[in-house]
Amino acid sequence: MPRTTSARRTVVLCAALALLTAGCTAGGGAGQASDGSKTMTFLTFETPNLDAAYWDAAIARASKAVPGVKIKKLVAPSADRNTYVKQLAASGQLPDIMISVSPDGLAQSGKLAAWPAATLDDYVSPQSNPIGGKIYQLPYNTQPTPLVYYNKTLFRAAGITAAPTTYKDFLADCAALKKKGVNPLVVGGGGKDTWADGFPLIAAVGTDVYAKDPHWLAERRAGKRKFTDATFTSALNKVKKLAGSGYIDRSGLSRDYASTEQAFRDGKGAMYPMGSWFAASADSKKPPFDVGVFAWPGDNGADTVPAYTGGGISVSSSAPDVKLAQKWSAAFMLDKQNLDASVRSDGSLIAVKGYTPPTTMGPVYKATVKIYQDAARRGSVVNAFSVETGDTGLVPGLSDKLWAGTAELIAGRTSAGALARRLDGEWAKDAG
Amino acid sequence: MSATDTALPASATARTRPRGTLLPRLGTFSLFALPGIALYLAFVLVPVVMSFVSSLTDENAMHPVTHFVGLSNYRQLLSDPSFHRSLGNTALLTAAVVVVPNAVGLGVALLLDRGSRLYRMLRTVFFTPVVLSSVVVSVIWQALLTDDGIINKVLRSLGAEHPPGWLSDPSLALGTVTFIMCWQMLGFCVVVHLAGLQGVPAELMEAAELDGAGPVRRFRHITWPMLAPSVTINTVMLLITAFKTYDQVQVLTNGGPGDGTTATVAFTVITTAFTDNRTGYSAAMSLTMLVLIAVVSVVVLRVLQRREVTL
Repeated sequence: MPRTTSARRTVVLCAALALLTAGCTAGGGAGQASDGSKTMTFLTFETPNLDAAYWDAAIARASKAVPGVKIKKLVAPSADRNTYVKQLAASGQLPDIMISVSPDGLAQSGKLAAWPAATLDDYVSPQSNPIGGKIYQLPYNTQPTPLVYYNKTLFRAAGITAAPTTYKDFLADCAALKKKGVNPLVVGGGGKDTWADGFPLIAAVGTDVYAKDPHWLAERRAGKRKFTDATFTSALNKVKKLAGSGYIDRSGLSRDYASTEQAFRDGKGAMYPMGSWFAASADSKKPPFDVGVFAWPGDNGADTVPAYTGGGISVSSSAPDVKLAQKWSAAFMLDKQNLDASVRSDGSLIAVKGYTPPTTMGPVYKATVKIYQDAARRGSVVNAFSVETGDTGLVPGLSDKLWAGTAELIAGRTSAGALARRLDGEWAKDAG
Repeated sequence: MSATDTALPASATARTRPRGTLLPRLGTFSLFALPGIALYLAFVLVPVVMSFVSSLTDENAMHPVTHFVGLSNYRQLLSDPSFHRSLGNTALLTAAVVVVPNAVGLGVALLLDRGSRLYRMLRTVFFTPVVLSSVVVSVIWQALLTDDGIINKVLRSLGAEHPPGWLSDPSLALGTVTFIMCWQMLGFCVVVHLAGLQGVPAELMEAAELDGAGPVRRFRHITWPMLAPSVTINTVMLLITAFKTYDQVQVLTNGGPGDGTTATVAFTVITTAFTDNRTGYSAAMSLTMLVLIAVVSVVVLRVLQRREVTL
């Protein structure tokens, strides 16, 4: 082979490779299009209710309201969007716009743009979950987490005529159900869904800790509180005693989230402590029994409702045009059809000023909304422990350890005191 | 190259090669080698170097500023109980996954080493789990193994009042994950051993049979030594696969039940990086894992290659 030809070939090949690798840009094609519009990536997630067609239509409506934006839709590969986004961020591919992604970690490291006050004026709770005093995720949706959904047929069979209003009544109902051979509480936590074992603890922290001290976690962050404090340990002990009395079916610890809901639907337990999103599921796919709902009661009858407000869109600080991205996102978030879809599919309590949910919503959703609104009127809505983010949230990574510890508590393999000590130790490690 | 060159010793041909023929050859060679080298650099070497650099810092998603900390992350690993635990879990899982599918796979391969259509179909059946995604396999097994899953329903119907919590009992969960991995990798070992069995010369077996050697002696003195290369391939592949176990743990147990009872090194690396946000520390873990896999693989490879037979 002549030398010049081979050298030329080598050069051509190198150039081709250089072009090829230059084409592999991070982020996947965001930037300026030839018609002057800005192309931006939007990370979505799909569920049976929020399918590809839903997202495509919703994106088209927002793009019609805000011209000059071309959206490249991305879909999270699993329900765990937070981990996926961090992986994208680590490889320089953070989406320009993302929905229902926790801003924790991303905001502190400067990867997200704060929302301007003018945009937040449209929301009922504009200062939900601040990070460094700023808001990075639109607070469009409130989710009571948990309320207790119950099987009215099993309640009647055990001679229970009304939902309990005090913790003493609640324990008496559990005892009556157990005596009838009915598992009182359906709790999950298997497989990848370890978080699903946490609802009794979130509720107990709401009634025993946050009802007395709403800023307990902020004080824990400031070092003024410890998990080993008597109030928090008493909440842990409540969960341990429920399990120890046989009121939580331990076999649930091997069930993932979907199987846990199915277990309640199948009558494998009378009560199902779960987020308000179950209301939509109970109405749209009615189980073979009537579903009631009540707030987890406190010792003195105060039915505290733990809730989280957030869930909206966040915008990357490195989006091609942050202001335009925020304008488009605000339009997407306030679109009536989008909000209605969120209510129908997720049982959302929309926290947008002037919004009214579809009148066709079912009885479980309406009962859920009433419980929340009554608690809001009484001033007994508190943060949902471990769900809260930002300045008042747990340090990153601790929630996973909390749910692992809760599983041990329910299984009877650790004590409340030992778990509290472990959590304090992990806090010190993760906060470092 | 001319025909006269072939008559000369290699050193002589090298000395008498006309000047100017090496560069064109290198040019042609690089044409073929460059894509592979570029891909290797882009997807292996550069990320490894980047990970190493990150492992020397306190990089954390929560902190906008990153500092150089030298070997501090590696020192911390030495006294980190959760890392030690995941290392222990990985060692146990790896030992079982290397030995069990290899041994059982050999037995199955010996049984399937026939030419009929039925046996060919059975080979396909055994190999099917290998081509399935680990996540799919794990989801299927999870449905079977939950406390109120199909397996426990069968056990209850047979009279077991309290069937085992395959995934919820800490003393069983790691064994369950290991069993599922062994089950999935069995088909791979069977196919490799079958390929090895095809390489055993029939005339050797016939000669041994004529000399009065029974099946056990024939296996011990002919088949087993001749299968050394396939044992080596299986062992190294299983070693690397088991050491990187993540998907199965993520889907089946999320590292639980409880605190890290089934967490492997790979699982701990991922959670440290993307849940705890401690990217630098996680990079140190992954580099440690890389070195461990490399060292163990090389040692095992050397030991096994020593006993390989060349005919």
